[in-house]
Amino acid sequence: MTAPLNADPTQQATIAGYQSRPVTKPPNWHGLVTLDLLVNNLSSGLFMVAVLAELVAPAVFRPLASVAYPLALAWLLVDLVCLVLDLGDPARFHHMLRVWKPSSPMSLGTWCLTAYAAPLTLVAGLSLVPVEWGLEGARRVIAVVGLVPALAAAAYKGVLFSTTAQRGWGDARWFGGYLVNSALVLGAAELLLIGLARGRPQAVELLRVASLLLLPLNLVALGLLLADIRAALTEARGARTFVRVAVLAAAGGILLPLGLVALGGTVALVTAMLLLLLGALVVRDEIVRLPHRLHHRPHAAP
Amino acid sequence: MPGLGTSFGRGAATNYQQDLAHSDCVLFMGSNMAEAHPVAFRWPLKAKEEGATLIHVDPRYTRTSALCDVHVGIRAGSDIAFLGGLVNYVLTHDRWFKEYVLHYTNAATIVEEGFRDTEDLDGLFSGYHGNRRTGHYSAREGQWGYAGAAAAEQAQEEWDEEWTGATPMYRMHKQDLGMHGHSLDSGPTSHAGARQQMTACEPEQHRDLTLQDPNCVFQILKRHFARYTPELVSQVCGCAPEELVRVAELLCANSGRERTTAVVYALGWTQHTTGVQMIRTAAILQLLLGNMGRPGGGIMAMRGHSTIQGSTDLSTLYDSLPGYLPQPCADESHETLDAYIRQEGQTTGYWANFRKFVVSLLKAWYGDAATPDNEFGFAWLPRPDADYSQLPYFDRMAKGEVKGYFLWGQNPAGGSPNAGLHRAGLRQLDWLVVADWFEIESAVFWRNDPAAPPPSEIKTEVFFLPAAASQEKEGSLTNTQRLLQWHDKALDPLGDSRSDAWFLYQLGKRLKRLYAGSTDPRDQPLLNLTWDYEFDHPPRLPDGSLSRIEGEPDLEKVLMEINGYRLDQTDPRTGRPRLVSGFAELEDDGSTACGCWIYSGVFPEPGRNRARERKRGTDSIHPEWGYAWPHNRRVLYNRASADPEGRPWSERKKLVWWDAQARRWVGPDEPDFDLDTPPDYRPPRGATGLDAIAGDQPFIMKPDGQAWLFAPGGVRDGPLPAHFEPVESPVGNLIYPRQPTNPTVRFFEGPLNRIAHTPTLEYPVVATTCRLTEHYLSGPMSRFNSWLNELMPAMFVELSPELAAERGIVHGGWLTVTTARSRIEARAMVTRRLRPLRVAGRVMHQIGLPFHWAFAGEVVGDNANDLTSLVADPNVSMHEAKAFACQVSAGRREGAVPRPTVAPAPWPRTRLPDTPAAAQPEGRFTRDE
Amino acid sequence: MTSSERALAHLPPGTDPPRSLPLLLDRVAEPFRRGAAPEPQPSTGFYTDTTVCIGCKACEVACKQWNLLPADGFDWTGNSYDNTGGLSATSWRHVKFIEQLPGGVLGELLDPGRWLMMSDVCKHCVTAPCQQACPTGAIVYNEFGNVYIQPDVCNGCAYCIAACPFGVITRSTIDGHAHKCTLCFDRQRDGLVPACAKACPTASIQFGPVDELRERARQRVADLHERGVTDAYLYGDRPGDTYSALNSFYLLVDRPSVYGLPETPVNPWLRMKGDYLRAAVSGLVSLAALLAALALAGGPG
Ligand SMILES: Nc1nc2c(c(=O)[nH]1)N[C@H]1C(S)=C(S)[C@@H](COP(=O)(O)OP(=O)(O)OC[C@H]3O[C@@H](n4cnc5c(=O)[nH]c(N)nc54)[C@H](O)[C@@H]3O)O[C@H]1N2
Ligand SMILES: Nc1nc2c(c(=O)[nH]1)N[C@H]1C(S)=C(S)[C@@H](COP(=O)(O)OP(=O)(O)OC[C@H]3O[C@@H](n4cnc5c(=O)[nH]c(N)nc54)[C@H](O)[C@@H]3O)O[C@H]1N2
Ligand code: SF4
Ligand code: SF4
Ligand code: SF4
Ligand code: SF4
Ligand code: SF4
Ligand SMILES: [Mo]
Repeated sequence: MTAPLNADPTQQATIAGYQSRPVTKPPNWHGLVTLDLLVNNLSSGLFMVAVLAELVAPAVFRPLASVAYPLALAWLLVDLVCLVLDLGDPARFHHMLRVWKPSSPMSLGTWCLTAYAAPLTLVAGLSLVPVEWGLEGARRVIAVVGLVPALAAAAYKGVLFSTTAQRGWGDARWFGGYLVNSALVLGAAELLLIGLARGRPQAVELLRVASLLLLPLNLVALGLLLADIRAALTEARGARTFVRVAVLAAAGGILLPLGLVALGGTVALVTAMLLLLLGALVVRDEIVRLPHRLHHRPHAAP
Repeated sequence: MPGLGTSFGRGAATNYQQDLAHSDCVLFMGSNMAEAHPVAFRWPLKAKEEGATLIHVDPRYTRTSALCDVHVGIRAGSDIAFLGGLVNYVLTHDRWFKEYVLHYTNAATIVEEGFRDTEDLDGLFSGYHGNRRTGHYSAREGQWGYAGAAAAEQAQEEWDEEWTGATPMYRMHKQDLGMHGHSLDSGPTSHAGARQQMTACEPEQHRDLTLQDPNCVFQILKRHFARYTPELVSQVCGCAPEELVRVAELLCANSGRERTTAVVYALGWTQHTTGVQMIRTAAILQLLLGNMGRPGGGIMAMRGHSTIQGSTDLSTLYDSLPGYLPQPCADESHETLDAYIRQEGQTTGYWANFRKFVVSLLKAWYGDAATPDNEFGFAWLPRPDADYSQLPYFDRMAKGEVKGYFLWGQNPAGGSPNAGLHRAGLRQLDWLVVADWFEIESAVFWRNDPAAPPPSEIKTEVFFLPAAASQEKEGSLTNTQRLLQWHDKALDPLGDSRSDAWFLYQLGKRLKRLYAGSTDPRDQPLLNLTWDYEFDHPPRLPDGSLSRIEGEPDLEKVLMEINGYRLDQTDPRTGRPRLVSGFAELEDDGSTACGCWIYSGVFPEPGRNRARERKRGTDSIHPEWGYAWPHNRRVLYNRASADPEGRPWSERKKLVWWDAQARRWVGPDEPDFDLDTPPDYRPPRGATGLDAIAGDQPFIMKPDGQAWLFAPGGVRDGPLPAHFEPVESPVGNLIYPRQPTNPTVRFFEGPLNRIAHTPTLEYPVVATTCRLTEHYLSGPMSRFNSWLNELMPAMFVELSPELAAERGIVHGGWLTVTTARSRIEARAMVTRRLRPLRVAGRVMHQIGLPFHWAFAGEVVGDNANDLTSLVADPNVSMHEAKAFACQVSAGRREGAVPRPTVAPAPWPRTRLPDTPAAAQPEGRFTRDE
Repeated sequence: MTSSERALAHLPPGTDPPRSLPLLLDRVAEPFRRGAAPEPQPSTGFYTDTTVCIGCKACEVACKQWNLLPADGFDWTGNSYDNTGGLSATSWRHVKFIEQLPGGVLGELLDPGRWLMMSDVCKHCVTAPCQQACPTGAIVYNEFGNVYIQPDVCNGCAYCIAACPFGVITRSTIDGHAHKCTLCFDRQRDGLVPACAKACPTASIQFGPVDELRERARQRVADLHERGVTDAYLYGDRPGDTYSALNSFYLLVDRPSVYGLPETPVNPWLRMKGDYLRAAVSGLVSLAALLAALALAGGPG
């Protein structure tokens, strides 16, 4: 325990005080929340893209629907499980539905998810019944109706984070903006992969072009987001790491995939889509961890 | 507290805590009031709101300093130098309160020719026997007495002859016994009949009201304190000369007719081998400034345990009887009642009633068995033959000279100075009874002391009696302002635990049964003891239900006995002897019984327990809130709040005054004076008792009715305070170089109690011990409580960044403190609240150690009291835990470390039983399922 | 037993787990039931005068004792006399110690310095982000205008924790719910003063109707200024541009950050609408792009 003899008392580490400590307390949201941020977008994104795609080119995309919607539903279920498990008292998850409180992004979000879950479930169900039954029309209508809550569901989480007192989160003006966009990018990617798997070159081609248009927008959104959280992230991770994260997310998660997409070809596309997924994960993870990293509390609550 | 007793007449705080709100300036010195008496501290804060100045003089910057306007840091143990500097300033700058000093103190009194001051004898007073390290004074040989006492001396001689030729021998003997009755003026008799003989003199003849006579107290005082210049003081204390002057100016500016200053002290003064003299210096200062007996003035001794004042009043001390009557000791002069009265009594002043108090006490204790023929059983009182105060007693215990011991609410294994020696003592016992709330260090020393030999090698058999908590029993507490407050029992004690009174009462009954019928004279005291405090009706709890406990004594009956009865009259209401209304009613012919004369009046009539009264008054005195001894006086010597003619010194500071129409003393407070003695009363020659006290002499307990600037008797280490270093100090005495320490300290040196005598080079750092708000004493009452432990979880030592840097100690890391006794480890609290000081031109360091940790409880740690030493000041056998020498180094000590003996209470996750959900405490967290 | 407890005594204890389907259903339905809202009272709050705080921590202990809160563990922090670190689900009062003393040798007549002490607690914000955040409606303004977490409603989503600009709330691992100062709701209903204020020996913590408290506090600041304590000021006694007033406000003598308070608290909800807008814009643009791409590419085929 003996320290090197140090004759200058002013060099002595003494009582810390409070100035150097963060004032706010982070909510201890970790992996589950990151996962939820991702699967939420995987679900809502896939749904939205699928619906729009079907609207524009039904013939091309109908065959993918029976995979796309059930998959989106599966993602949603995973998401809900994450949300419930992340509660301090999961047995009280239903308390979320006690009140309709649009002033609270979390309340609004819960209702949007609910509102989105209903059409999604129907559409997913209907997408599995033979076309001959003639429910296609109904399915389309329900799907279009579902677009609105889907969009909200994709967006609200960003606003939930940015409407907090946490360093970083509270600065992330464009988090919501980034998330919806990212949701669509991911959705397109998912559908494209389904297209590949189902051997539908036409669908793949259409989505490739779509991605070529969406990805630059994604880059813009990411840019705005990173600009927002630069200060906080730099403080938490150091300037170097910040740059690394930025480059990884932008170059690895967007530009490289963009290039590969432009290049085309199964291998290139698959790699691109995986990179996209990875990039999206990195961004979400960094942001979720941000205030916790900033906060080195001497005393955690029991 | 002889410091106060000798100076004013009664050894207790002179004012009441709420009165601090009326001060214009408060000097906290040797007290950390905000931390140790946080609730009472609101009153000085109120004064501050009104513009008063608060000053804290303390080695450490504490939570009290934080709230004070001025903090002066000084070296622990240097207080007499600092206070001496203040006295010197007041005298040399002629800032003393002339009228007050002239009439109310013995400033004008002329002292015997032969007296020699420390000025003349290099730090010794005349009459010293010893080797300058340890020894004693003979006040009579030293001629500390008043001039003209010679005649009385003569009488004394003759009287001595009657008794024994060997009286001087016995005096020596008595000295060596360290007998120091907290007697009469609650100061020791520095020689036989001192109080009486030394002060008897013809006032007119032997006073010089011009204060010019070189042998008058005032001149002696001036010469004595002339040395204490700001420069020398700063050399000794380590503060700046300007700081001393600033404090002096503040005190002077806030004293006088219109303003008053209060002094608040506690252990920072008492726990020194010079403690009594520190308090004496403060007394002298307050008298010169004219602050005694006045609202917002006085000297507040901030006492400790909830009823430590009560326990001294009722004499848990071995050398006094209830009400500060001296315990008769084993020598000729105390053989018979008459001899004892003559020896310890006083013919002038209120103590002239001494006989009444003693006889009434004997009647209370021995009832009908106490008759004039057997001197009311005076012979049955035990006669100590040696010093049975705690420290010498445990010293003997450690030497194996004690067989068994009762520990009743004390934890010497943790809380007493040189706790290691105390534990060694306990290990030497055959049996030990511990009555306590918790399994404290003193109960588990054989099992959990990391420094002790294995249990198999310890023979002591420990019996643990589970004591009831305060809420589980009724009784009264006497707080630091002499206020008796009764508390009712809220609920029955759990399981087998019982009130301390129950254990004692039952023990007494069994002993009486055991010895019943014995004719052996030595059993008579026990057999004749009145021991009947049964409840008349089965006691009930507040909710009306019957108490489950059987055999509980009725403590109100005890209080009634303490209050006193007229045995020759019966009260028609009760058919019992009539309760007396106060000590004025007591008689010396056996017609009255009174268990503690100073408390008399607390139970003036059946059903009226004044300690239980809770009526708020209009002003801060609240005379019907509890009962303050003596006779419900809240400010002692309050006659001094009026000028010699009996008019208040000022409208702002009026308390009691002479009402010329009504021809009596009146005022919001109970006058501490004979109610209808007019200010101009002059005693006739040869008057006795209160008649011998003039109408302008407020200190009625004193034989001369005046406060003692100079103490002809009463303090054993000198009539005037002089600065001496603590017995362990890194520096010598800059004021009396030939006399480093108090020449009358008693040492108990041995392998278990080594002393690094002053000046020591081996231990260059000054250490002092202190309290924290968060813990209580050695910790039993706090370290078993998670809510307090989380606030202060570990033993730490406060030190300056400079010292830390010098020793390579890091903040939050470990350090080791070593003294001649032992070595402990603690966490390092490196803080600027402690500063290095420049003493005698060289930089020195000072550390502060809280003494709350030991090896039993939820949180444990090394014990500051393993470092402290066993030494005894000559007056009250007080140790010196507040200033000793140590060495400090970085890192931990070798050897085993203490482990917690109990786990923190696991948090209940179930709801409170029989409590509806909505009424569950908010924090009682529970899941739905 | 307080009067309200007596009144409630006939209610079934909340402890028994649902043993049967009806009970289970009841538990599910419970949070949706609505009672009648109590009569609103004049808002109450705290005025904490840090200049008379002696750091005795009686408030901290009184709070734990009244509410039966567990201890937070025994670790010695070395941060002056503060060993409980901060407010949490199990510490609803917390006393801070700030040492501001100069170095140097005693007697060199340096400025004596200060040792600041401050008893921190939930600010009971007039517009409380934690309340705005709460998705279950567990956090309400009670009849005294205090911000109160209904322990039987909270499901531990932790959003309030993220929302509070003062770091007051945390989530207890004992029950997974968020907890904080209730301003002794239960005591107030029985006309009692909050436990902490009751215990405070120096009236550093003053409880009462906020308007009165503000009056008193402003007077006190004026007095202090007169006496030369010119750095005394009130924190949170009136609303700022970015934050509402605090029903629990403070008299401080140094910058807020020194006491571990935000210099200028910001209510996150001021930015929510804008963020939704950005999200919507971004969403619509992206959707448009997607449509366009599909349309253009898919047009001919
Ligand atoms: N919270 C709490 N309150 C208590 C107690 C407790 O244990 N905990 N104990 C109670 C008891 S039994 C008692 S007796 C009282 C004691 O009450 P205090 O005597 O006020 O308490 P201490 O901390 O022992 O000592 C007071 C101050 O004396 C200072 N000091 C030490 N040496 C010197 C010196 O040489 N000169 C001067 N001028 N100052 C010095 C110390 O730095 C300390 O700040 O407190 C009572 N109240
Ligand atoms: N170094 C150093 N040492 C000191 C001091 C110092 O300042 N510095 N201060 C000294 C002073 S002033 C004092 S007063 C002593 C105090 O030293 P102690 O008298 O030993 O005080 P405590 O350690 O509190 O032990 C009191 C015990 O009484 C028990 N108790 C409490 N209430 C009751 C009751 O109603 N009945 C019974 N039977 N037991 C009860 C408690 O549980 C506790 O175990 O410490 C002294 N020691
Ligand atoms: S513990 Fe009791 S005696 Fe001590 S300050 Fe608190 S209230 Fe007063
Ligand atoms: S301080 Fe925090 S917890 Fe308290 S009311 Fe304001 S936002 Fe809510
Ligand atoms: S944790 Fe409880 S109180 Fe806090 S926002 Fe969530 S539900 Fe409301
Ligand atoms: S008001 Fe009640 S709950 Fe809030 S801090 Fe004070 S005691 Fe604790
Ligand atoms: S009780 Fe009062 S004085 Fe003590 S710490 Fe709390 S606020 Fe300060
Ligand atoms: Mo004490």
